[in-house]
Amino acid sequence: MESLPLTEPVLLILLSLAEQPRHGYSILKDVEQMSDGRVVLSTGTLYGALRRLLDGEWIERIEEEDTPRGRQAYRLTTRGRKNLQLEVGRMKHLTRLANLRIVVKEA
Amino acid sequence: MLSVSVYRNLLRLYPALHRERFGEEMIAVFDDRQAETVSRGMITRGIFYIRETAGVVGGAVQEHWRVLAGDSIGLWFPTRRFTMRNEFRFPKTTAVLMMIILAGVVLAIKKGETISSSHVNPPIGPLPPTHSVLLGGIFLTLAFFYAAGLIGWAILFAMRRSGVHRLAATSSK
Repeated sequence: MESLPLTEPVLLILLSLAEQPRHGYSILKDVEQMSDGRVVLSTGTLYGALRRLLDGEWIERIEEEDTPRGRQAYRLTTRGRKNLQLEVGRMKHLTRLANLRIVVKEA
Repeated sequence: MLSVSVYRNLLRLYPALHRERFGEEMIAVFDDRQAETVSRGMITRGIFYIRETAGVVGGAVQEHWRVLAGDSIGLWFPTRRFTMRNEFRFPKTTAVLMMIILAGVVLAIKKGETISSSHVNPPIGPLPPTHSVLLGGIFLTLAFFYAAGLIGWAILFAMRRSGVHRLAATSSK
């Protein structure tokens, strides 16, 4: 199960799903785009992370009858969104703190 | 396509449950990504295949570990927690080592020049072939390092047998 703080790939996957439900390939492309090509996930890494997020009920599969098996879409659950907000809040706090310390040091 | 069947076989490394759950999806995603790389250069394709293979092998190890030990116990190697680092890393030690190597090369060239200038007249007797001298030098160097390693290992082994390493743990009460 995932725990905070999140790994960078997991954070990016969650951010990708925060916008809209996506299937595997779409998540990979979005992660690559969000990180300006810095984070390129392999298929194995992606599905390892998705499995953990599914087991922790952070995300869920959208079951659609006419969707082929290779195109299953995923979306954030309420728990996943809440945890993502917690992580973003933690990062905001860190950034604010870092800025304050840097300003004090430079002054 | 051939590589899809190779990838399908690679997925056998995963536990059966994971394969049943995600196998078809993983193959579909791999197929999409592979189609994307077809028009790109050989290096890009090579990197893609290496990344995908490493992803499958690493993922399979993690999944098997999870089956054996559960989610609570992590693997001994780092699991890529959120990290920030510079894009370009050039440690100082590398710079120092490069300087030492450069100095060694320059010194060797100078030494060679000195030797060649001091031997204006050809030396008496036949010179040994260059390649045999070179091979002999390499062999001697390797033998030296091997012997040094062997001696070091023997010393450590003898110390361990004598129980001297336990002295640090004893108290002076």
